[in-house]
Amino acid sequence: MNAQNDEPVIRVRSLRTRFGTTVIHDGVDLDVRRGEVMAVVGGSGAGKSVLLNTIIGLNRQVAGTVEIFGQDTGRMNEAARRRLSTRWGVLFQQGALFSSLTVAENVAVPLKEHTDLSPALIMAVTGLKVGMAGLPSDACGKYPSELSGGMRKRAGLARSLALDPEILFLDEPTAGLDPIGAADFDSLIGDLQRSLGLTVVMVTHDLDSLYAIADRIAVLVDRHVIVGTLDSLLENSHPWISAYFHGPRARAAASG
Amino acid sequence: MTSESDRFDIVLADGHLTVAARGDWTIGAASALDTGLRRIDAREARSAEIDLSRLRVVDSTGALLLVGLRDRFSSDGRSVAFTGIRAEHAALIERVFANCGRPLPSPMPYHPLIAVLERTGRAAIEAGQEAVGLLNFLGLVTITALRGLIRPARIRFVSLVSHLERVGFDALPIVGLLSFLIGIVVAYQGADQLRRFGTEIFTVNLLGVSILREMGVLLTAIVVAGRSGSAFAAQIGTMQVNQEVDAMRTLGLDPVEILVLPRVLALVLAMPLLAVYSDLMGLAGGAVMSMVSLDISIVQFTERLRDAVGMWTFWIGVIKAPVFGFLIALIGCHEGLKVTGSAESVGHHTTRSVVIGIFLVILADAAFSILFSVLRI
Repeated sequence: MNAQNDEPVIRVRSLRTRFGTTVIHDGVDLDVRRGEVMAVVGGSGAGKSVLLNTIIGLNRQVAGTVEIFGQDTGRMNEAARRRLSTRWGVLFQQGALFSSLTVAENVAVPLKEHTDLSPALIMAVTGLKVGMAGLPSDACGKYPSELSGGMRKRAGLARSLALDPEILFLDEPTAGLDPIGAADFDSLIGDLQRSLGLTVVMVTHDLDSLYAIADRIAVLVDRHVIVGTLDSLLENSHPWISAYFHGPRARAAASG
Repeated sequence: MTSESDRFDIVLADGHLTVAARGDWTIGAASALDTGLRRIDAREARSAEIDLSRLRVVDSTGALLLVGLRDRFSSDGRSVAFTGIRAEHAALIERVFANCGRPLPSPMPYHPLIAVLERTGRAAIEAGQEAVGLLNFLGLVTITALRGLIRPARIRFVSLVSHLERVGFDALPIVGLLSFLIGIVVAYQGADQLRRFGTEIFTVNLLGVSILREMGVLLTAIVVAGRSGSAFAAQIGTMQVNQEVDAMRTLGLDPVEILVLPRVLALVLAMPLLAVYSDLMGLAGGAVMSMVSLDISIVQFTERLRDAVGMWTFWIGVIKAPVFGFLIALIGCHEGLKVTGSAESVGHHTTRSVVIGIFLVILADAAFSILFSVLRI
């Protein structure tokens, strides 16, 4: 929460991943500082989600290291990994809610698993998180199949915030939302990030999100990342980056 | 009065209670904090103050506990104030205060007896709706099939042949093996009982009648319901999830004609063939067992079988087969088309297709028994 040190919360060094013979990343270096919003952009198939999955340990790298809070995730035992996973929250693209549980039960899952809070307090925390994610309280008793896509994402966000994580990983948070819903979601994430002091790593396609909330941007091109602020990337001459930030959609987002 | 805890201090002076939070109020400490805060006795206080100036780290769960404390103090009409909120905590505390205090909807009052009644009623109504839906679908398929009879060019022959291969030919190994094993079991059990009366030779009669009349076709139907009825439901259900069925309708294609009819026809044609095959394998299993344990040679076995069972015994089994096949395919396709949206729904309807399919097959078998006994066959 406080900026006790300038040590990056996530430090990725010379990361190399591949599927079969296809190399996805080769020599990726990435630092994410405490309290910033880092957006990860790149073309379809550039490996944005793979990078995210590798950082959170769902996918294993071929070479290189991923350090989170200064701990090397590759050399961790199962218990340390579980402890670490309580310090981050992940919002998957479709929300990834457990379909057999109600929204409230979904949010309560990590609380029941990882804390010894009393049932009454779990109820209260659940209600708080659902409210903070901007869902009406009558959504608590509903099942995921009864929710719209936007509400499902908000419910997924509430679940990822359940344990008061320090890092929030978002995989395409605004994909599939209408422009108004997407803008609302951007401002929700921005508000939560500021008020809860979160570090946010966000994979996105959405240029509006970049302009709205990203502090720095990591662009995945040619199996590497190029990190910079919006302004510095606007100056970058790499053909893909230039096409991305100066295309017709980018100009619309910039003027909006 | 002063009391201490490691995360807050309590001072009560002149009827004014001060709770001073300090250290870390985070989710890791929340359980201990919750218990500690509950022990605070505020009965003698007329006003209360929650001092946050020494709070080092707070997260939203910690802030929630602060709200809970405030609400508890103020519930007796006391004035409660937060003091010394530090700048770095202000945004979080404000955010939490704005979003809590909204009670979760309490679960519906629950009475076990009423719940049983409710479930029974719900199940009865659902079964009724299922029956009506199925009748409706039966009509739809019949009309489409009649249209196909008038204009046979509309029947998709490539699809029909492909389904015939999958539901018929590909089922041969499993149907054959199971029938052979059941033949062995029936022969063994029959011989064991009949030996006590010295009438082991009647094992052949028992085997012939039970396999040809009932076991062969019933076993085939159950295997087919498990492997083909469920496959139909899953295939059509997956297409439903991908909106392929909707796409067909918008392109002016009839899903019943394209998806349902070839599957139903394939199973109606394949079932009698599989049933005959199952009969043969079952009898073969029985013959092997008779040879091993009763010393009845193959020649004796066939002669005995010819005397024991008439042609009708065989036909009764085979006549039932296309009906069972029709029912299984109808249920499989109907459940597949009932799938809505989610992947979970595919699983649900696939399971139902097997359960209802086998249920209807056995129901139809019972109906056939009554029919044949009335006809004295």
